[in-house]
Amino acid sequence: MSYPVLVRGLTKTFYDESRGEIRAVDGIDFECGEGEIFGLLGANGAGKTTTLRMLSTILTPTSGSAAILNHDVVRDPEGVRKHLGFYSAGTALYPRLTARETIEFFARINQYPSSRVPERVRYLVDRFGISKYADVRVEKLSTGMKQKVSLARTVAHDPPIIIFDEPTVGLDVLNALEAQQTIKELRDEGKTIIFSTHIMSEAERLCDRIAIIHGGRILDCDTLAGLREKTGKHYLEDIFVQYAGRPAE
Amino acid sequence: MNWKDIRVLYVREVVSAMRERTIVTNSILIPLLLYPLLIWLMYTGFSFVSGQNEELTSRVMLKNLPAFHDALRSTIQSEGSIVIVAAADPAADIRTGSLDALIEFVPVNDGASTLENNFRARITYDESRDRSDQARGRLIESVSKYRQDFIERQALRFGVSGAELQGFLLESENVSSGRQMGQFVLGLLIPILLIVMLSVGGFYPAIDSTAGERENSTWETIMSTATSRSNVMMAKYLYVATMSFVAGLLNLVAMIFSMSSLLGPLTRPGMPNFTFRIPMESVPVIVAGAAFLSLFIAAGMMILASFARTYKEGQSMIAPFHIALMLPVLFLQGPGIQFTPGLAMIPVLNVVVMIREAIQGVYRWPLIGITLAVELLCILGALRVATMVLRHEDFVMGTYSGSFGRFARERLLGRKP
Ligand SMILES: Nc1ncnc2c1ncn2[C@@H]1O[C@H](COP(=O)(O)OP(=O)(O)O)[C@@H](O)[C@H]1O
Ligand SMILES: [Mg+2]
Repeated sequence: MSYPVLVRGLTKTFYDESRGEIRAVDGIDFECGEGEIFGLLGANGAGKTTTLRMLSTILTPTSGSAAILNHDVVRDPEGVRKHLGFYSAGTALYPRLTARETIEFFARINQYPSSRVPERVRYLVDRFGISKYADVRVEKLSTGMKQKVSLARTVAHDPPIIIFDEPTVGLDVLNALEAQQTIKELRDEGKTIIFSTHIMSEAERLCDRIAIIHGGRILDCDTLAGLREKTGKHYLEDIFVQYAGRPAE
Repeated sequence: MNWKDIRVLYVREVVSAMRERTIVTNSILIPLLLYPLLIWLMYTGFSFVSGQNEELTSRVMLKNLPAFHDALRSTIQSEGSIVIVAAADPAADIRTGSLDALIEFVPVNDGASTLENNFRARITYDESRDRSDQARGRLIESVSKYRQDFIERQALRFGVSGAELQGFLLESENVSSGRQMGQFVLGLLIPILLIVMLSVGGFYPAIDSTAGERENSTWETIMSTATSRSNVMMAKYLYVATMSFVAGLLNLVAMIFSMSSLLGPLTRPGMPNFTFRIPMESVPVIVAGAAFLSLFIAAGMMILASFARTYKEGQSMIAPFHIALMLPVLFLQGPGIQFTPGLAMIPVLNVVVMIREAIQGVYRWPLIGITLAVELLCILGALRVATMVLRHEDFVMGTYSGSFGRFARERLLGRKP
C-alpha cells in the first residue's frame, strides 16, 4: 500500500557560525496512514520543526527523501504544497488583510478552483465561526480569533494532508482545547494529520501513533498502547524519559 | 512564471500597502505634497524677506529745497514710505544709522541754468546699509517722477506737447531672475527630486515585503503556499517597482500642477518670476526614464533586503543604496555636464541628464536609446543576481545577519561551506 506521507532517511545539516555543523535531523524514517493523526513528540531542539519544514518544502533536505501523495519534496515542491496545509508558530497571518480576504487569498494562491472560491470562503467562515469578525482586519483580532482564522487559512484549499507544528504554543487552555478539537474533526473528515508537540498530554489525547524524536532521530514509533507495552510504563511522560534518557545536568 | 498567481500575490501586496501608513505617506503623500510644500516655502520665504524691507520707512532729510519746488516735499511724502526729518549733523547720522539719506539741492550755474528754476540734487547715503540704500532708491523714484512732471510742464510753456517729448522711449524688462530660477528648477531640481522620490517610493515597500514579512512571520506562510518562489518574488518585485514608479509619477504630476496653478497666482510684482512650462513632448521621455529607473531601483533594493530578518536590518541594508543613488546625481548636476555617449553609459546618471535635456526640449534619440538600453541591461543584471539569490535556501529563513554582503562573500563566492 502507498502511504500519503512517506519519509526515508531524511537528514538536514545546518552550518552555524558559532556551533559549527548541526545535524538537526539525522536520518529519520516514518510514514503516515490516511485519516490518522501522526504525532512527533520531542523536547525543544529535537528537530521537529526542521522535519516539518522539509515536508512542507520550506527547507531542502541534505539527504534522504520525503513524499506527499507521491509528490517528492525536492522534485515537485509545488505539487507537495498544493496537497498540504502547513500551520506553525512561524506561520502568521497578514495583519492588514481582513479574515475573509485572508481565507480567499490562501484559497486562490493554493490553487483551489477559482469558480468555487467564494463558496469555499463562505463555508469556512461558517465552519470556524468567524462570521462576526470576518470583515475586521486580522491585526485587530484577539489571539483566539486569530487562531481560528489561521486554522481556516491552513485548510482554505481543502488539502488532504495537514501539518500542525506545535499549534497550541502560546494559547490559553480553552483555545488550546479548541484547536485540538478542530484537529480531531479534520481527522474525522478523512484528513491525514502530522502533529508535533512537546506536551505529553496533548500527544496522549490526540495522536493515533506517536514518534518519539530526540537529537534529530526517531527513537521509536507506535500507538500509545504499543509504547506502553514495550516500556511497561503507563504515562507517556515516563515512556518518553525511558527513551530519551534524563537530560544532562 | 504563472501570471494568474502573480496577480493574486500582487493584489495582496498592494492592498496591504494601501493600509499601511508609512508606505502611503512615503510613496504617495510625500511625492504629491513635496512641490506644493517647496513652493509654499519659497513663497513665504520671499514674502518674509521683501516684507521686512517694505515695512521699514526711510528717514530722509531735505536740505535747501528751493521755494519754487515746494511741491516736491508733498510728492515725497505722498509716498508713505518716506518720512522727512531734520538733523543737526546729517552726515554723522547717516553713518550711525539714525538717518537714512540726505537730499541736498544746489542751484545750477552751467548751461543747464538756461532752464528757469532748474536744480541739481545730491543724495548722501550709506551703501553698506540696506535701509539707507533703499531710501536712496525711493528718493530717486520720487524725484524722477517730480522731474518728469516738471519737464513736461516747462515743455508745454515752450509749445512742445507731452507726447512729442516722449518721442523716444526706451523700455527694458529684467527677465534674468525668472529664467535662471526656471532653469535651476527644471534642470536640477526636477531630475534630482524625481530620483529621490523613485527611491523613497520603493524604500518602504521593499523592506515591508521582505524583512517586514520575516519580522511578522508571514514569510514562512507565503513560502508554504502552492506557488513557486519565483512567482512570489516576481509579484513582490513588480509591487515594489510599481510603488517606486507611482511615487515618481505622482511627484511629476504634482510638479506640473503646482508650477502652473500654484505659482502663477502667487507670483506678485517684485518677486522673482518662476513660471515656466515643461514641454508636453518631454513627458513620454521622462515617464520612460522613470519607469526604467523604478525597475532598476526595485531590483537593487529587493536583492539587498532579501536576507534581512527585521525591519531595522532591512533599513540598514537598503539605506546605502538609497544614498548611493543620489550622490553622483548631485555631483554631476553642474551646467557643464554634457550628454555624451560616454555619459549615456553610466546608469542612473544617464537618465538624469536625459530628462534634463528633454525638459529643455532637446531630444538626441541615439543617446536616449543608449540610456534606455543601459538601464535595461542593469535591470536584467539585477534580476539575474536575484535568481541566483533565490536558488539558495538561506534566502528562505533569512540568515547572514541579514547582510547581503556576507551572503555574497560566503555563499556566492564560496568562502564558507
Ligand atoms: N536555520 C537554522 N540554522 C541553524 N540551526 C538551526 C536552524 N534551524 C534549526 N536549527 C537547529 O536545529 C536543531 C533542531 O531545531 P528545531 O527543528 O527547530 O527543533 P524543534 O522544533 O524540535 O524544537 C536545533 O539545535 C536548532 O538550533
Ligand atoms: Mg519547533
